[in-house]
Amino acid sequence: MHTVIDGRAAISVAIGDLYLRGTYHTVPGGRARQQNVALLFFNPGFTPRSALGDSAVYWCKRLTECGYPCFRFDLPGLGDSDGEAPDQILDFINKGGYASTVSALIKALVERYSLAGIVAVGHCAGAVTALFAAPQTKECAGVVLTDPYFFLPRERARFWLELRTWSSWSRIGAAVSAMYYVLRHIRLLVGRQRPPRNANLPLLRCWNQLSSAGLPMLVLKAPALKSRGLRPRIGEFDYLAYLQSKAGPRNRVSIEFVEGTNHSFADRKGREAVREHIEEWLKAQFLESPKGRTTERSGAVARRGAYEAVLPR
Amino acid sequence: MLRMSVRTPQDFKHNPLEEAGYFPVPGAHLYTVLHGSPDPVARVLLVGAFASERHYSHIPWIRWARLLADHNVECLRYDYRGVGESTGAFEAMTFVHWLEDVELLAKWLQSRGGDVPLLIHGLELGAVLSGKTFDAGIGDILLLWAPPTSANQALRTTLLRRISMDNAFKYGDERRPVSSYIGLLEDGENLDVEGYRWTAQQWRDSFSVELPDGLDTADGTVSGRPVRSVKLDRQSTPLIKGSSVGYEGVNKDFSLLFSENLEWILSAARSRGGVCAYSH
Repeated sequence: MHTVIDGRAAISVAIGDLYLRGTYHTVPGGRARQQNVALLFFNPGFTPRSALGDSAVYWCKRLTECGYPCFRFDLPGLGDSDGEAPDQILDFINKGGYASTVSALIKALVERYSLAGIVAVGHCAGAVTALFAAPQTKECAGVVLTDPYFFLPRERARFWLELRTWSSWSRIGAAVSAMYYVLRHIRLLVGRQRPPRNANLPLLRCWNQLSSAGLPMLVLKAPALKSRGLRPRIGEFDYLAYLQSKAGPRNRVSIEFVEGTNHSFADRKGREAVREHIEEWLKAQFLESPKGRTTERSGAVARRGAYEAVLPR
Repeated sequence: MLRMSVRTPQDFKHNPLEEAGYFPVPGAHLYTVLHGSPDPVARVLLVGAFASERHYSHIPWIRWARLLADHNVECLRYDYRGVGESTGAFEAMTFVHWLEDVELLAKWLQSRGGDVPLLIHGLELGAVLSGKTFDAGIGDILLLWAPPTSANQALRTTLLRRISMDNAFKYGDERRPVSSYIGLLEDGENLDVEGYRWTAQQWRDSFSVELPDGLDTADGTVSGRPVRSVKLDRQSTPLIKGSSVGYEGVNKDFSLLFSENLEWILSAARSRGGVCAYSH
């Protein structure tokens, strides 16, 4: 057995009493970009670090070819890493339960591999973790969020689940569902587009802090049921538009819609599009230096000041 | 019966003998995790679920491996060639490669020394591969969980779930029947199933990769080698496919299934000459 093979290595990092296990994708020929920024992928929800269809493996392989070292790690209790997952894992994630582990991991990797910073890449629930973790460490150079959500999912009674299934199969059900969403839309208009009651407010605050601190952020959105491009279906709150409306002048947020794929981005179209968007975004954020744009190092110093003002440690 | 309860985060103990690595096979490397034991009573090769099914069964499968190692049963789990952490392109693989993986790893595990029996343990499609390897004379004990009759049966179940997920996001005429998906494969085209590109050849070959006859004997042995086949129902989600696989399945209690099978493994190992250091 080998722990290192061509292009990747099986590595582990001790965080507290636990060993986190992951994969380190090395840059071919050892020629990392001058800026020396790496990417860290972790579990999308409860699935392994390779992600559905091993799409994360694909992204890491391609991004290393562009000169960015990549890491993929399992969080405690999820996959090969030590530990047990908490019982109410979704609640745990939505409260930022894994954030301290991810920030410690980022710090450890930056130190071990002498990196300038790490971009945290999170999908779905992993995006929630990335957002909560980013302000906790100055070594986080940016975040990539694929299909993030900003609400707290509520447990639904069996009756509602059955009703939803029925509405997706029956014509009458579809009409009833459409009516329900129109009523919800009216309620949103009356409520002047304020976040709904089940919004994850600490997460929204986290986004605002990162955005106003000028942290580079890329959001990739997949098509959702009855949605129209970036906009959600009628009756659902448009969190991304709301967050953009609150963005200050320093924000470095890019939001892109990926057409013809699904939530996992694991199909050919999805994985290609995600790769292209991340590549272009990395190039724009960390390689090109137009006049007036701060360098990554001075940006990190400025962000540190901003975080410490809002999140004193 | 062995008494066992679900572990809490506080109960978890780091096993210094748990090692991840890459095992060379022709044209690729298999990602393996050895759950070592200083004085094993048996060695187990864990042949897990296939491709996208691996994602859902991953957590309980690892817990099972750790539990075995805790009871002096050394085990090795791995990702199929072209899947997960292993290298190689999935669409370039055939069942010949995946059978070769089982054979090579079983031989490696056997070569680790000590006169302890080797158990081959497969889940779903992994059970078919395990059964075929055992039938070829490799291994001392065989344990099958949720074995399908053939690889095609396993693929078909995965495909049906993919179609139902596809259809959940479509309306009326946009929905395609099962036959149109299978038709694509039969016409020689590839099909994207949860991010894996199934090839027409994999589909065709899957019909001939069958669980060998004669593994289900009255006395539970084949040529004196213990064999056990366990049917798993929907209650065993996410270890096997179920109607829904979600966060609620992450910490599912499999203590009964694990206890019964651990007890059987230890007893089978004793019958094959393994010295059982575990007492209960």
